[in-house]
Amino acid sequence: MAFVSVSGLTKRFDKTDVVHDIAFELEKGNCISLLGPNGAGKTTTLRMLAGLMKPTSGSIVFEGHPAHSDIREVIGYLPQHPVFHYWMTGKEFLVYVGRLAHLSKKDASNRAEVLLEKVGIADAKNRRISKYSGGMKQRLGIAQAMIHQPKLLVLDEPVSALDPIGRREVLNLLEDIKKETTILFSTHILSDAEEVSDELLLMHNGEIVESGRLDDLQFTQDATKLKVSFSQNGDIYAEDIEALESVESVLKEGKHLTINTHNTDQARSEILQLAVERQWPITHFEVSRTSLEDLFMKVVKQ
Amino acid sequence: MQWWTIFQKELLENWRSLKWVWVPIVFILLAIMDPITSYYTPVLLEQFGDLPEGAEINIPTPTPEQAFMSSISQYNLMGLLLILIMTMGLISGERKSGVTELILVKPVRYTNYITAKWASTLLLVLTSSFLGLLASWYYINILFGDLPFSHAMTGFLFHSVWYVLVITISVFLNTLFRVPGLVGFLSVTSVIVLSSINGIFKSQFEWLPPQIHLYIQTFLNSGTLPTDMWITTVLTILLSAILLMLSVFIFKKKELAS
Amino acid sequence: MDIAQIPDVVAELTAMIPWKIIIPVMILELILLTVAIVDLVKRTETNGPKWLWLIIILGFNLVGPVVYFIIGRRPH
Repeated sequence: MAFVSVSGLTKRFDKTDVVHDIAFELEKGNCISLLGPNGAGKTTTLRMLAGLMKPTSGSIVFEGHPAHSDIREVIGYLPQHPVFHYWMTGKEFLVYVGRLAHLSKKDASNRAEVLLEKVGIADAKNRRISKYSGGMKQRLGIAQAMIHQPKLLVLDEPVSALDPIGRREVLNLLEDIKKETTILFSTHILSDAEEVSDELLLMHNGEIVESGRLDDLQFTQDATKLKVSFSQNGDIYAEDIEALESVESVLKEGKHLTINTHNTDQARSEILQLAVERQWPITHFEVSRTSLEDLFMKVVKQ
Repeated sequence: MQWWTIFQKELLENWRSLKWVWVPIVFILLAIMDPITSYYTPVLLEQFGDLPEGAEINIPTPTPEQAFMSSISQYNLMGLLLILIMTMGLISGERKSGVTELILVKPVRYTNYITAKWASTLLLVLTSSFLGLLASWYYINILFGDLPFSHAMTGFLFHSVWYVLVITISVFLNTLFRVPGLVGFLSVTSVIVLSSINGIFKSQFEWLPPQIHLYIQTFLNSGTLPTDMWITTVLTILLSAILLMLSVFIFKKKELAS
Repeated sequence: MDIAQIPDVVAELTAMIPWKIIIPVMILELILLTVAIVDLVKRTETNGPKWLWLIIILGFNLVGPVVYFIIGRRPH
């Protein structure tokens, strides 16, 4: 049995399903990203996992935990916009939430020190949280989620509100944390997901439209594009390219052609072969990375 | 133990936000203001009132009991308003701001969360109320004559029962709504409605909570505790207990995030 | 009242003031005022302009500081 299994999970607000009948399983020790555009239902899904919202229907089962036990014991949760008791110091806050999670005074204090060190804000531990920067708050947020050594760490958009430096720091931190615990985090940015996660859950309109290991997922989708530029208007070459069996469509933008294909390897060799045979004045040839948008278009169309 | 953690955190918060400084001071000032002004008004009028020759001032000096009741009346007006405004964001404010999203994803028992907040507010308010009435008793003894200490303290205790109910009403509304302003408005309204109902029906049903003030007055004047006072007290405590349990029940049912 | 009488009246008034009664009240109000002003000065962000709060605190005895404590301060 999987570490966490979710089945038939639905959340309805005013007759519309924000999350509709989703099912997935999380394996222990994996880092899973929940990827999707804004409004896909990611936050609602995570809130249900964290016990902040009650599902309209469906179940969330943790391995070794009876169905009606308090799942908050084994979950660490960081909301998208964490709000702290700003009048407390960072250390005080960690000790407080640690005590709420049934740690003894001493254990809570020790664990707080360890985490402050780990997330890199030990210097600021005795400063009021109101004086913290955005990045520091986010790191404190991750620390508070980990205070009771949860089996599953649920992070809602942990990097989206940060500047590039803060983002990098938090991503590195996640890289480090995933050695210790299972992480499920949401994001709307594919590169973040790619960077740290092993597995991907793709969410759209309240449903999980695709899931699997990252490499497999990209392979099955094969949503790559080829971008070819010429030293003159590309329209005259577009016809030849469109005639190829491996090519689905060609988008003409002056000197540039964007080619959609369902088989990258074949399309690439065929086009390059044509180019050599007919001596096309190619100035640029690129197999472009799949953008999240493309991936979605592809998945949603199916 | 978890209850104690939350209770301590509330005490610390009330200390850092200076509530433990200003609330007692305000209650002391509220309690002594009326006795002092009612003592000095005739004196000042006589000296500076610019009254025509031969006019006599005829404001009867209140008895010590009346002066003490004037402190309690202040508590029922300004004190009450202060408490309700102060507590209107006790829980709703935390939910509105989103702190509860961090706190209540920890395995916190809702009973602990609510009763610890309720108790810490009670401690602050009743301590302040006690200090105020103590000061009022002290001034009354200097200005108006002897008021037995035991009488003042009995007055404080029974008035506290009323404050317990008021705070519980506020906590209850705090679990129902997440807008502090609405909670404040509705709690003030509830207290007014409760007092009005008491005003209308007190001859038919003489044990509604606001009635306790009449009994405090009766007690101060006679020195004996009327049976009706005990019935009213028990009913008030019972009502508070029910409201508190309902608060926990409602809070459990509520979605913590919106 | 005659203007010439005023110094006498002031003297009379001063002699009459029951300091024993008034001083504790004044001390309490002073503490309230000081605590409010110290908090206002230290605070980085208030609910509205700081100078306005200073006027409210200083201008309205008792009510000013209380109103400041209740709505003048931002949670963070």
